[in-house]
Amino acid sequence: MVFFPFVDAADGIFFEDLQPGQEFTSPGRTVTEADIVIFAGLSGDYNVLHTDAEHMKASIFGERIAHGLLGLSIQQGLAARGEPAAALGLLSGLKWKFKGPIKIGDTVHVFSRIASKKDGPDAGRGLVTVERRLLNQRGEVVQEGESEHLVERRKP
Amino acid sequence: MSGAALAPVRCYFEDVEMHVPLETPGVTLTRAHVVLFAGVTGDTALRDPESVPDLLPLCLSSGLGWRVPRPPLAVLAFMGFEWRFLSALVVGDTIHSVSRTLTKRSMREGGVVIEERRIVNQRGETVQSGKLTLLVARRPAP
Repeated sequence: MVFFPFVDAADGIFFEDLQPGQEFTSPGRTVTEADIVIFAGLSGDYNVLHTDAEHMKASIFGERIAHGLLGLSIQQGLAARGEPAAALGLLSGLKWKFKGPIKIGDTVHVFSRIASKKDGPDAGRGLVTVERRLLNQRGEVVQEGESEHLVERRKP
Repeated sequence: MSGAALAPVRCYFEDVEMHVPLETPGVTLTRAHVVLFAGVTGDTALRDPESVPDLLPLCLSSGLGWRVPRPPLAVLAFMGFEWRFLSALVVGDTIHSVSRTLTKRSMREGGVVIEERRIVNQRGETVQSGKLTLLVARRPAP
């Protein structure tokens, strides 16, 4: 695991500071019934998968599961708690797979790794690709993918 | 009244039509959305309160998909997606989504549907777009 050096907020983290192979492990977060209810209310996605406990008893999951996009949103918040998130602010692309269910009471954390960096669409910014995995308390990958970020270069 | 008569109507794999555009109603992005979403994600980084988090429009589009003149898709699982973030949104913008089915593939458990989706702002500009892969249930035997 690589620890990102403390950087003064006024300086920020720039494209030049990020290197392929740098890794980050986030804190954990327990996904609760309240998270699912709030996300259903916010998104308007009331699919029975997430809201009907009786219906889900008969499903392959046996109970309600979190929305896939709730897991992704929690992933994004966990990643922001320690990754050089200020630098990775502008998301330009995302490829994502939902591999397994997140159930009420599961505790998830993020493992991320800087995969590559290359020139961006203009001279002032570069493109950084980050591999991301969302794991549960048993170490199973429940979601994974990669994100592309436009990151400012240090001013000459 | 029998239970069957109360069963909700669903759009099953067999009912999915290829290439037919489906346009949702709109939703105006508010500070309340931004604050609630920050609570859900736990992303506490200080940001411009007028800027809309990148993932919020996609999350809202999944709910908008339930507000179209078609029974809700019988989604068994959301398998994955690829997404491009083309331009930033701010509080006060109004978005809706336009989607169409690109491919259908039959499987034992149901069928895989690949949907193209665009998020469009109040000026008709596409601000985010991508492809979503969904596992959809077959129509149950009568």
